[in-house]
Amino acid sequence: MSTINFAAREINCKIVYYGPGMSGKTTNLKHVFSKVPGHLRGEMVSLATEDERTLFFDFLPLDLGTVQGFKTRFHLYTVPGQVFYNASRKLILRGVDGIVFVADSAPNRLRANAESMRNLRENLQEHGIDVRDVPIVLQVNKRDLPDALPTDMIRSVIDPKGELQMFEAMSDKGVGVFETLKTVSRLVLERLSQNK
Amino acid sequence: MIEPSLALYGDAFERVDQLIQDLLETTGVRYGLLVDRKGFVLSHKEALWAPRPPALDSVATLVASNAAATAALANMLGERTFSEQIHQGENGTLYVESVGTDSLLTLIFDASVPLGKVKVYAKKSITQIAAILEELKDIPPVQLGEDFSQGANALLDDLLG
Repeated sequence: MSTINFAAREINCKIVYYGPGMSGKTTNLKHVFSKVPGHLRGEMVSLATEDERTLFFDFLPLDLGTVQGFKTRFHLYTVPGQVFYNASRKLILRGVDGIVFVADSAPNRLRANAESMRNLRENLQEHGIDVRDVPIVLQVNKRDLPDALPTDMIRSVIDPKGELQMFEAMSDKGVGVFETLKTVSRLVLERLSQNK
Repeated sequence: MIEPSLALYGDAFERVDQLIQDLLETTGVRYGLLVDRKGFVLSHKEALWAPRPPALDSVATLVASNAAATAALANMLGERTFSEQIHQGENGTLYVESVGTDSLLTLIFDASVPLGKVKVYAKKSITQIAAILEELKDIPPVQLGEDFSQGANALLDDLLG
């Protein structure tokens, strides 16, 4: 649940971008960073390897503004997608309020998408959380690849029951980035209002 | 709900704030923060003479993540936790110590300030802060209501189009 500081009149929510390696999680954050005015966002922190693969996380704080006297903030994080960084992924999920699952449209990444979703379920479970208890939005990224798989096929391995809201995206061009973030933020705020 | 939220209410917040302020004055520490384990700043104080602090959001996130990674290492080594972290540079020190299970006291000070002195006084303050946070655990959860959601959604439209 979000951190509420009554005295400082602040509400902080944590949103995590999850998904397989190279699916575009960091690119999502970079686009948000480049488009949101400077006074509404903080510094972007990236803990990455020399070849720009996320090693621990990327972090970007966003100021929503003041709602009913509470300064409301979102902290956006990405996890490292590569399989062997699971210990880091688990740590970053701590205290998560909402998740954007970034899937890759490339045919050779279908299995990686499925495995990453399974890994998300397992990691949440280790924190004692059912995946259905956290707002999750599905972003199917890289839709401009010439051999992009149909979204139905990608969804079938990640969200077979079709329960998640889905957005098509080309995060390197900014397409679908804000729509995804807005939807997950909405879901988080709704839950906050319902005191869940 | 994934983790209990830490809600600091007026009187408790003021007492925590005052304890951190006293700690700064007693020890000569430059910046003092209480950070929750999710990486959010709960309270912060800076010495009157201190220059503008670095981005506190980033400091809090990195401190909490570092503490989480350190705790994971402790578990791997058969320890329950490592309760404190000390990072000493050429010009200053970052000292982090757990306050109960949910938060971290973070102190940043110059090389001229003796680490031993900071640790002694920090431990005293931590005992007092932990007692205040413990009191807050019995407070009923906050009710924000539908109006909050509607107001926030309007701001989301402004921010993200």
